Amino acid sequence: MQDEDAQGSTTAPRRLCWGGGALLLTACSGPQSVLDPAGRDAEVLAVLFWWMLGGAVLLWLAMNGLFFYVTRMKERAFSPQAADRLIVFGGVVFPTVVLAVLLSFALSEMPRQRDLGEGLTLRVTGESWWWRVEYRTEDTETPVISANEIRLPAGSRSELELAANGYIHSLWIPALGGKTDLIPGRETRMSLEPVTPGEYGGQCAEFCGESHAKMALRAVVLPPEEFAAWLEQQAAPATPPETETARRGQAVFLREGCGACHAIRGLGARGTIGPDLTHLGGRRTLAAGVLPMSRAALEDWLRAPEAIKPGVRMPAYGHLAAADLAALATFLEGLK
Amino acid sequence: MTWRGLLSLPRDGRSVVKTLGFLALAGLLGAGAVVGFGLYNVSAKSGHWAGVSWVLHTTFRNAVRLRADATPPEDLDSPAMVALGARHFDSACRTCHASPGRPRSATVRAMVPAPPHVSAIAGQWQPQELHWIVHQGAKMTGMPAWPATRADDVWPVVAFLRAAPDMSAQTYRDLTESPEGQSCAMCHGAGGASGNPQIPRLDILSEAYIAASLRAYRSGARDSGIMAEAMSHVPEAAIPEIAARMAAQVPVGPAQPMNALARRGEALALRGGGGDVPSCAACHGPWDAALNPLFPSLAGQHAPYLRQQLRLWREAARGGGPVAQLMHHAARDLTEEDIAALAAYYASLAPAKLDRTGK
Repeated sequence: MQDEDAQGSTTAPRRLCWGGGALLLTACSGPQSVLDPAGRDAEVLAVLFWWMLGGAVLLWLAMNGLFFYVTRMKERAFSPQAADRLIVFGGVVFPTVVLAVLLSFALSEMPRQRDLGEGLTLRVTGESWWWRVEYRTEDTETPVISANEIRLPAGSRSELELAANGYIHSLWIPALGGKTDLIPGRETRMSLEPVTPGEYGGQCAEFCGESHAKMALRAVVLPPEEFAAWLEQQAAPATPPETETARRGQAVFLREGCGACHAIRGLGARGTIGPDLTHLGGRRTLAAGVLPMSRAALEDWLRAPEAIKPGVRMPAYGHLAAADLAALATFLEGLK
Repeated sequence: MTWRGLLSLPRDGRSVVKTLGFLALAGLLGAGAVVGFGLYNVSAKSGHWAGVSWVLHTTFRNAVRLRADATPPEDLDSPAMVALGARHFDSACRTCHASPGRPRSATVRAMVPAPPHVSAIAGQWQPQELHWIVHQGAKMTGMPAWPATRADDVWPVVAFLRAAPDMSAQTYRDLTESPEGQSCAMCHGAGGASGNPQIPRLDILSEAYIAASLRAYRSGARDSGIMAEAMSHVPEAAIPEIAARMAAQVPVGPAQPMNALARRGEALALRGGGGDVPSCAACHGPWDAALNPLFPSLAGQHAPYLRQQLRLWREAARGGGPVAQLMHHAARDLTEEDIAALAAYYASLAPAKLDRTGK
């Protein structure tokens, strides 16, 4: 025991060091990292970042080397001519060239990030505290409405119109591109060109109120044909419930007035305040990335949403009978 | 002695403290003797020493003037307000202040201070002062405070007090008579609908909603001075019977033609509006499917009552049954125009139960 303790205490700082290093490294990859790009725009940002990091490291070494040389190795002062040359070249010419190169590279990339989309337009509205997402293609009349999940086809550029209801937000999906603010009363826009299919994390990146930290979203990049099939499925009305429990859940949904805020296309609920629930069960997460999509999580959410997301507009339905609440969760989870 | 002389008095700090300490002790002993040995005569027969009544009443009058700042409603002196105020007065205030055309009892006149006769009140005070006194009461006079936090339902009483000086005993009797054994009917009408737009009609409501509301009034969960008074005369055990009787009424009446305001209200009620106001119809009808019977029907409900309630909901001051928090969420973004439009819309509908299933 004693030996172990002694060993533990000597290795603790080293462990901490390795732990810290590992923590830094984990930030470099994963579904929500700028340094693990999965889209054209994020690639540019990553390239820019690595070049700037490399350049900064080189400059740091050069400056410190020069400082070391001047203070420790060089015995005599520079001649006035040499000093002038050093100041003019090192202090004016060199930074001007470096900054001009960086600036022109960055500026040359900007138009592409503001390119128009190639057919698909998403309208993303920042609500308190969730994302309303509407999809419009060239051949759809009315938009397909969803929430808290952005699906995009890989290999083509999609346009995002951004709006906000009430508070300022910022949409950031690090693996796909930079961030853009969502401003009440103003429309902003961005476009994204995802490359690698997969699931990526996104987050509100501008403090917007009580539940800012709980306003995440999931970005799902699909191969184009899979995306088209998904969008077609989303455009369809909800499938009527099949089991007895789910039918009871639907009755509870309509009886309790949930349709005042939520729409379930095809089942008689037309509210527009809260998220469209027509295909709720098909989403990866619940309550803007806060909970997994499961029956148990739905029940918790319905019972006390305020406990999960402070300041939420959704009222609590904890007064419902337990069986009604369970049936409601079953019904909602079944809306694939 | 000049002020210089005052300064030149011997200043022995210790003797000053001693003198003050002695006086304080003597004062405490004196006060203790008055309280402990009952030396002060509290008898109402002996009245006050000369001048004390004047000091007390002037203090009262000035305290009210300083604090009375409520704005009277535009329809303060409408007959509907006076009628509702008269009925509440008859239940809660008549014992002390008597009624128009009738004298105060000899016992009441022996109170110190004696409560003024109802017809002698309005001449002394501005409407906002009457409102303050009825809502706040006055300590050590026998005048109680309003039995609710909410202050807007005090105005009918103010309206009645203003009408009382010119009211005949017969008019008062007509206003306050109630069918034998049916205390609800005095205000709400024998069929649950009185025709007074200040008083909600009950014939459109469900048994579950009426019972929940009566319990909420009794417990104070729903804040209303008028209903708190009314429910203090109704035992808990009587609630189911009252709820069943009221809910059994079949609402009758025509729809009113809709004006532009009501049309705006219709759009808001059916579809929600402005991004943050949910649709009313999903809970309150008109609706084809069965709705939770704990939600009140609003079809044909009186507009002034609806406006007042929506304002209370918006301010999160309404309270009520187990689902009240839903409405506090729903109403918080309503504007004054929304409230006027919604009240106009629901008031224009033909009186009906909650949903088209007829229950």
